[in-house]
Amino acid sequence: MRSKTILAALAGALLLQSGAAFITSARAAELNVYSHRQPFLINPFLKAFEKKTGTRVNVVFASKGLVQRLLAEGRRSPADVVLTVDIGRLYAYADKNLFAKIASPKLAKNIPTHLRDENNRWFGLSKRARIVAISRDRVRPSEVHRIEDLADPKWKGRVCSRPGSHVYNRALLASMIAANGEEAAEKWARKLVANMARRPQGNDRAQIKAIFEGVCDVAIINSYYYGKLKTSKVPVQRKWAKAIQIIFTNQNDRGNHVNISGGGVAVHSKNKAEAVKLLEFLTEQTAQTLYGKINYEFPVNPNVEAGAEVKSWGTFKEDRLPISRIAILIPDAQRVIDRVGW
Amino acid sequence: MVNAFSLIVRARHGDPTSTWSITTLIASLLLIGPFVALFVTATGDSGGLWAHLMKTVFPRYVGNTLALMAGVAVISLFFGVTTAWILARFRFSGDRIFEWMLLLPATVPAYIIAYTYTDLLEYAGPVQGMLREIFGWQSARDYWFPEIRSLGGAMLVMASVLYPYIYLLARTAFRLTPASYFEVAQLHNRNFTLTADIALARPAIVAGLALVLMEVISDFGTVDYFAVETLTLGIFNVWLGMNNLTAAAQIAGIAFIFIIGLLYIERTARSRQRFMDTTQRGKEISPKRVSRGWGAVCVLTCLTPILLGFGIPVSVLLNFILQGLAISDSDALTSSAINSVLVSMAAAICVVTLASVMVLTVSYRKHPFLNVLAAVSATGYAFPGVVLAIGVVSFSGALDGFIATVGEDVLGIPSNGVLIGSVALLILAYVTRFQAIGYGALSSGVQRIPPNIMNAGFVLGRGFSGTMISLAPRLLRSSMMAAGLLVFVDVMKELPMTLLLRPFNFDTLSTYVYQFAKDELLEEAALAALAIVVAGLGPVILMNASQKKRGRTGATG
Repeated sequence: MRSKTILAALAGALLLQSGAAFITSARAAELNVYSHRQPFLINPFLKAFEKKTGTRVNVVFASKGLVQRLLAEGRRSPADVVLTVDIGRLYAYADKNLFAKIASPKLAKNIPTHLRDENNRWFGLSKRARIVAISRDRVRPSEVHRIEDLADPKWKGRVCSRPGSHVYNRALLASMIAANGEEAAEKWARKLVANMARRPQGNDRAQIKAIFEGVCDVAIINSYYYGKLKTSKVPVQRKWAKAIQIIFTNQNDRGNHVNISGGGVAVHSKNKAEAVKLLEFLTEQTAQTLYGKINYEFPVNPNVEAGAEVKSWGTFKEDRLPISRIAILIPDAQRVIDRVGW
Repeated sequence: MVNAFSLIVRARHGDPTSTWSITTLIASLLLIGPFVALFVTATGDSGGLWAHLMKTVFPRYVGNTLALMAGVAVISLFFGVTTAWILARFRFSGDRIFEWMLLLPATVPAYIIAYTYTDLLEYAGPVQGMLREIFGWQSARDYWFPEIRSLGGAMLVMASVLYPYIYLLARTAFRLTPASYFEVAQLHNRNFTLTADIALARPAIVAGLALVLMEVISDFGTVDYFAVETLTLGIFNVWLGMNNLTAAAQIAGIAFIFIIGLLYIERTARSRQRFMDTTQRGKEISPKRVSRGWGAVCVLTCLTPILLGFGIPVSVLLNFILQGLAISDSDALTSSAINSVLVSMAAAICVVTLASVMVLTVSYRKHPFLNVLAAVSATGYAFPGVVLAIGVVSFSGALDGFIATVGEDVLGIPSNGVLIGSVALLILAYVTRFQAIGYGALSSGVQRIPPNIMNAGFVLGRGFSGTMISLAPRLLRSSMMAAGLLVFVDVMKELPMTLLLRPFNFDTLSTYVYQFAKDELLEEAALAALAIVVAGLGPVILMNASQKKRGRTGATG
């Protein structure tokens, strides 16, 4: 009896859903976004887009597994645009042929070549630099110039970082494999691990806090965390930011490693023109400025100025290695990380 | 397959008992579908990754996982069994309150307790700050303090929120231990000790422990936050770090087989033991009033896990809110809360109904094939949430493809896919994952029903369905309530499957909290986090009330 009721209810729910799916497909001027970025970060952009174009934007946010969801949905997928952070994730979509090739002069003009796919499947939308944070009291800025310097035995027991297996560290290590070769990169990573003040843990915020606490003197962080803490509404977090100074590394050689947030158009999108419009919108003045304001990231568009806070950190030379090269080296980086136990 | 075929044939011939078997068969297959999808993924070529894994990280993954399981098992058994036994056997001041308060930690998600403990116990936290103040230490290098982000820390926080599974099932079992056992013991001039008491409650305790261990092996949030490299963390490193889902699914498969092995060993170990009262019903052991000194010991024993698993994390959340750090977006919060409650209720009802049908069928129809199938279908809990979600999404993608093909080719209706991105799929995913809770609770409940009660039903000519429908809900009421409410609070807390499988613009309290917690900004999501806990309070009180009623009116209640 009961099971029948439940089955009936489930069947009813299914019918309702399929009805809803039908209605969705019938209505135009809607855009469906799969996002790896949290709603509170991405919503201001989408609201601005809705306001400008009148297109309603629907979002599913998930941090892992959206590639598999898109794969399973296949040609029936409702997704139009995928937004994500980290080049590794963008590459995973391209690798599974889930992105459509886009010919957009606007995107080509707004995004430097090293920050987009040469086959026009994915596009960088904002930049973040992986930088070194040093204690204002215990370290002089002249002591760190290159990311390679952190392997120096003088830092024994003084370095903090999140676990090596995090996407940001993987990408950093991949950039070092590209620059110095796998063997040198592994040697560096091994010495870095030997210099750790504590077992790698927490996120980049936690590393800045650890410097404030005196647990360590130098840490590897993403640039925007500094901006977030500096302007935090929690008073104690502003104190953490005051305890550190940031260093852009490798300024006299290849430049500081950067990673991107980015996106692409789903290969089975039924609304590709509108989807391209969203990507284009994200590379234009309004959105590019928002990246700095909301999340303290750098614009990819060279014609857009960074926000005031981001600008106050000074300009820096970035590593112009094609970012797709990093994506290819990421599995190798993870193997190195496994070997050295970072 | 032959067995399945013969079942279908029997249904055609109008054998009424087969409706149950068929339902069980279809439900099992539906629930096993996602596992099959995962095993198919695992059969691919892992690109020679295993040599690398075995040489580097794999031994560490396995070692940490085993250590974590052992540690959580010891602590949660201690918390769960001692408190359940004390409350079932003794009367002391406050026992009525502790009865339900001991369930409260079940409402706290593990990733939230991990976060709050870090906030409290790390260097900048109030505890170490106070110690520095008292002893005049200047920096972290002046003294030693246990690191909360560690294997030991993970054992403690996970056991603190997971022990209620053991407590709840054990308490029911202790309560239902027939007084006749004590009477026999007294006749033989033997003391009926805790050991014997535990032996009789063992099926229930083990059912609870199995749930705890499955939760441990599948946890990602806590081990990630504490950077404890377990198999689950390894799955993610291989999957996302090396872009190799095949090898990741293989690691998940190993963890899964491991759990199945554990369950099998346990089953064979107790296969010859069945404990039931065949004398008159309703006679239970009445708790003894204890002296004031022992009362204090009892109070302390009950208070410790409540403070660890509920008091401390909730105070940290409340503190964030009082400091005005929490975002209070009431629209988002309300709609998330409504979604959370609705999906949790739907999932709880589905799990209890399916588990009841399946447990009764395999218990009284004794079909070896179905038996195994149903047991396997209740092991989704052992997969990490996201991994199972991938199984669910691949399986339903295949189903959607099938539906679409049939729709277009046979009926001529174009289909956009009906399952993926629907609430129905989300519910199916929850059932796949939490069936273990329903199945475990009901199996241990069924074992306590004396066979002659059911036989009496058959003899009276009611037939299988009649007997089951009239007797089972009454005999299994407390197990059903316990299972339903545990599933409810578990779905409230569930995160990875909800994140990946939900429809557009659909938030639950968990997903709302997560967008902030992901950046270690829990203070901003403190209000929503607290709402998860508060939403769990109702069910917890209800769960307790239903159990108490059962205690008063006897086992048939």
